[in-house]
Order: sequence, then C-alpha cells, then structure tokens
Amino acid sequence: MKKEEFEIVAFDYLRKTLSEKEQKDFEAFLDKHVDFKMELHGLKEAWELMDKPAVPETSEQMDNTFFNMLSAEVEAQGKSNHSVQYYLDNIFHWLFKPQLAYGLLFAVLAAVYFWPTPNNRRDSLDTIKVADSETEQVREKLVLTLLEQPSANKRLEGVSEANKIGKVDDQVINALLKTLNKDLNVNVRLAAIESLTNYVEHPKVRQGLIQSIPNQESPIIQVTLANLMLALEEKKSIEPFKQLLEKPELDTTVKKKIEKTIKSII
Amino acid sequence: MITVYPFELGNRMQQLTDNALMLKVKSGDLDKLGLLYERHKKRLFGFFYNLNHNPGLSEDLVQNVFVRMLKYRHSYSGEGSFLAWMFSMARNVRYDHYKKNDNRFDDLTQVEYRITDNINIESDMNKRDDLNMLQRAMAKLDEEKREILVLSKFKEMKFSEIGTILGCSEGAAKVKAHRALKDLKRIVQKMQIQ
Repeated sequence: MKKEEFEIVAFDYLRKTLSEKEQKDFEAFLDKHVDFKMELHGLKEAWELMDKPAVPETSEQMDNTFFNMLSAEVEAQGKSNHSVQYYLDNIFHWLFKPQLAYGLLFAVLAAVYFWPTPNNRRDSLDTIKVADSETEQVREKLVLTLLEQPSANKRLEGVSEANKIGKVDDQVINALLKTLNKDLNVNVRLAAIESLTNYVEHPKVRQGLIQSIPNQESPIIQVTLANLMLALEEKKSIEPFKQLLEKPELDTTVKKKIEKTIKSII
Repeated sequence: MITVYPFELGNRMQQLTDNALMLKVKSGDLDKLGLLYERHKKRLFGFFYNLNHNPGLSEDLVQNVFVRMLKYRHSYSGEGSFLAWMFSMARNVRYDHYKKNDNRFDDLTQVEYRITDNINIESDMNKRDDLNMLQRAMAKLDEEKREILVLSKFKEMKFSEIGTILGCSEGAAKVKAHRALKDLKRIVQKMQIQ
C-alpha cells in the first residue's frame, strides 16, 4: 500500500465507513507495518479530541427570525402574481425551441421506463408520508410563531396557516384559544373562532370555546359564538351565556339573540 | 442481492426528499423551505460554530444561508447532493461575511481571546482542558484544513460530497483531510510539550 492509499483508507477507518472485510484487511496491514500503525494511533487521538466540543443549542430567536423572513417572502410572492400575458409569452418561447421535440420524445421514453412498479410506488408513498408529516410539524411551528407577532396581519396569517393543518396538536389548540381570549384585534379573534370550528370534535376545543363565552366583549364575537353553539346544540354553553346576559353593558340586539339561542338549545 | 440497511434507506429517503423539497421551493412553494430549515439548521449551526465559536454570529450565518437559498432558488438544478449544494453555499456565506467585515480571520483571533480569558480565570497553564487545546490548535490551521476537518466529522456527509464542496475529487478530499488531521496532531503535540 502506497502512502497516499494509506492516507485514504486510514481516514475511512477513522470515520468507521470501511466494510468489515476492508477493516480486517487494513488491520492486518497495520500489524505488518508498525510505522503506519504508529501514525494512525496518533491520528486517532487527534480525531477523538475533535469529538470534545459541545455545540450549544440554537436559540428561539433564530427560529423566529427565519420564520418571519419566510412569511414575508411568501407574502411578497403572493402580491406579485404574474399576468396571463407573461405565461403565454413563456409558453410560446418554449414551444419554438428546436430541442423541444427531442425533449418531448425523451420524456415519453423516460415515462415509459420509469412508470412506477408496485414496489417503488410504495417507496414513493412512504417518502410522501414522511415529507407530509414533517410539513405539518413545520406548519405548526409557523402558526405558533405568527400568532405571537405584534402585527395583526401576521396573526391573521397565522390563523389561516392553522386552517391548513390536518391534525392539530394541543400546542396549536392552546395558541388558538389564547388568541380567541386575549387577542386585541376583533378580526383575529373571529378568524380564530373560524379556525377552531374545524376541530369542534376535539373536546378541548369545544370546552375552550364554551369557556371563552363570558369573556367576550365584542358583539360580533358574541353573536358568532351564539350561532356556533346553536349549530352544535351545545347544552353546556347555556350557563356561560346566562353569565353573559347578566352583564349590564351587553348590547340589546345581542341580548335578544342570546336569549333566543338559549331557548333553541334547550 | 443488495442489502439496504435502514439507516442507509433513511439517508436515501432524506436525500430524495431534500432534493424534492428544494425543487418545490424553486417552483414557488416557498413554505417548503421551512422544512429544510428544520432539518438542517443544527447541522449548519454546528459547522459555523465549530469554526468560529461564536453562537450569535453562527446563527446569523445560518440565517444568511437560507436567505441565499431563497434568492438563488432558480439556480437549483436538483442534480447531485443537496447537502453539498447547501454547504457550498454555507462556505460562500462565511467568506462573504469576512470579506464584508474586512476581518477574514476574526474567528481565529476570537478563539485566542477567549482562551487568554480562560487562562486568566484559571491562572494555571497546566489546567487547560482538551477543549481549549483543541480550539487553539484548530485556530492555527489554515481555513481549508479547518473546514475539511469540521465537515468530515459530520457522519451523514459522504466524502464525495465533501469533495464537491471543496471542488476536488473524493480521493483528494480524503488525502486533504488526512493531512489536515496530521497537522492538527502535530500542533497538539507541540502544545503538550510546551
């Protein structure tokens, strides 16, 4: 084994990427060449020393900065919709390329060759499942970050992102309920109710909606909740609505609506 | 029959989906960058941190890598390794940072400053721990050697990918890594004698 070859194999040996056989062969070689063995020993010490540094955890601030940047980009992208003319120009530009005919021919041949067999179709499905579940996790994180933003627009965006989540976890539910109870902007609170409506089968969501009834001061929110409870025929909402009726500042129209709702639910 | 080990399959799936995700970002589905960020933020942070030992700066550089990914998403071809593409970008981000701040070697001086500080605290040269010694030794290596050693510590990174990042063949990358490690060992030994 030449010096350079030794350098290559030695590094694979240190990284433990040699196969079992290659490793045995290399160790047998080292036993016969003490100078190389000594060199490797010294390298191993330095290699193991490199394992010492502990990398600190990244901060929450880094995540927030990233997701803010990303949501700003997504928003900017949404605003710059291309015109029909742009797409037509693009299509014509590509249609008149001479290589297109060869490209299409190749694409057809490739499609025939790579047409999924049952096995690789299953692999693709597995891959899609993994990617989907990770997308959900990232979306949840994005929702949590956006709901904490000072801008009402961003918080609305957060609620709308929450609508895209197939199966929400407790953290997102808590964040949405917190938005419903604490957000200063009526539109954001309304959007939170709309989003929570998607998960009314979840006991925590239902309970959270009911508990929020006496805390609401905005007439539009009170009416929306009344309509929702009526649709759900939720008997547990009667008591909180009665508490709301006791408030002297309650709007007269809303009062009538709530009384009507209570009667209908009973 | 070819045996595929679960971790290999995992890596291949990850690789496949990294490429697929970046292609989605390229086609305008920008949300998918969030997924790539979650997957690779720690790895990128580790790369920068092991080179500069400055957590704040490392986080900024991670951010810059993703900003650049968005900016240059149209140039992503989907061919080759996503990791190699990402780390090539990370290298450029790092160089640009030093060029912009006109202090190409500030990470090195920072390490020295930190260590001097530690020595003052401990007031005893003999009490230097392995970590400080490693940091000082690493700081004495030149840029490319430090980079290749840090990259070669990532288990999931293949040497062919390291070669792509450094612009050389797989074999040449291994030889470079071996020699960098040898230099590191020499520096450490020298420090131990002093």
